[in-house]
Amino acid sequence: MCWVCEKYGKGGKWYLNPENYARRLYKIRKEGKEAAGADADPQAAGMGAGVVAELVKARISGDREWENEIKREALEQAYQTHFGQVVTLDEYLQILDTAYPLAKMTCGCRRVQRGMPDEENFTCMGIGPGMYKWERWPETYRGGVEFVTPAEAKEWAMMNHKEGRVQTVDVFGTPYIGGLCQCEYPGCVAVRNRIDYDFKFLLKGHFVAKVDREKCTGCKSCLGRCQFKALNLEVYTSKAYIDLEQCFGCGLCVTACPSGAIQLLERQSMPGLAENW
Amino acid sequence: MIAQINIDYALCRDPLNCRKCLSVCPSVVFVCGPTKVWKGRESDSREYKIFGRYYDKCSGCGDCVKVCPANAVQLIFVPREQLARKFREERAAQLKER
Ligand code: SF4
Ligand code: SF4
Ligand code: SF4
Ligand code: SF4
Ligand code: SF4
Repeated sequence: MCWVCEKYGKGGKWYLNPENYARRLYKIRKEGKEAAGADADPQAAGMGAGVVAELVKARISGDREWENEIKREALEQAYQTHFGQVVTLDEYLQILDTAYPLAKMTCGCRRVQRGMPDEENFTCMGIGPGMYKWERWPETYRGGVEFVTPAEAKEWAMMNHKEGRVQTVDVFGTPYIGGLCQCEYPGCVAVRNRIDYDFKFLLKGHFVAKVDREKCTGCKSCLGRCQFKALNLEVYTSKAYIDLEQCFGCGLCVTACPSGAIQLLERQSMPGLAENW
Repeated sequence: MIAQINIDYALCRDPLNCRKCLSVCPSVVFVCGPTKVWKGRESDSREYKIFGRYYDKCSGCGDCVKVCPANAVQLIFVPREQLARKFREERAAQLKER
């Protein structure tokens, strides 16, 4: 179990604990000066991107201590307020039975990184009572929200998985989960910052995917599914290769394999990976 | 060498609607973020600004300069060590202030 489970899981996985979805209206933090239009740093746009400008500087300077300090301070803050974790499709579907209401909305990351227009960009799902806020004041969020039933949401989630998007839960005021994301590298700022700068705003999931080398036929159907640079073909033996230390456990490769050669295993059952979040 | 990307904001007036540089860059170097947050409404698209946030990932391919209809993107390359020295000095000054 990860530290979030230890604190908020009640013995199980924290994001499967209904308490972390059920709460009074999630806190509307934009009070006071934001009402009149407060200055914002355009460089901080996207999930957990407030420190990227500093991180890039530290990287270029080669000062590891500086880089670590930036991360330590930013994550201490993030883990109390806003961060994410990868989940599997099965877990995502379970969550859709717990969380309510469900509403599709524009993905903030792909808007800021690719400027994608709302019509092509409704790939984020906001959940919980906070969504009524958007319905009530549509001008507060470009494109507004589109409420869906749990059945519609499930169908949509399966479509997203099929298309190759990684699914994550997102916290808005720890431990309250207010968003379900469909992410990818590098369009998702959180995934990008994790992969390129090892900024652990996005936590790895509770599973890892292992190849059964006896079963793998080398058909290559799984190639291209991984958004975390963890999967390639071992050309000399013609088998899929997964870097288990790099695997986030999203399961996208698993469902692409026609031979059942990739299995999701609990991270906790692998002593060498159990601490690797 | 590392890219220094300057955007002339007097020329780039409506980045979220133009978005040509965002969409063309093979290295996803640009972001377009709001300069204001409002409680009661979404930021106007003219309140957004383009930044070459991930300039350390820029290959120098030049596609952004070519695609920009306003000629607003300027790209220069400086030696990594020169930039590193500058940032190390910034850091030292930061530490001194503590
Ligand atoms: S975390 Fe993923 S779905 Fe959510 S806003 Fe970012 S890219 Fe979009
Ligand atoms: S190897 Fe498979 S399970 Fe692991 S991150 Fe890549 S696609 Fe997801
Ligand atoms: S899809 Fe399955 S059988 Fe085909 S290469 Fe990948 S792991 Fe092997
Ligand atoms: S292409 Fe040029 S005008 Fe268009 S958003 Fe980018 S910098 Fe601005
Ligand atoms: S030069 Fe190429 S890589 Fe660099 S910012 Fe422009 S489009 Fe992106």
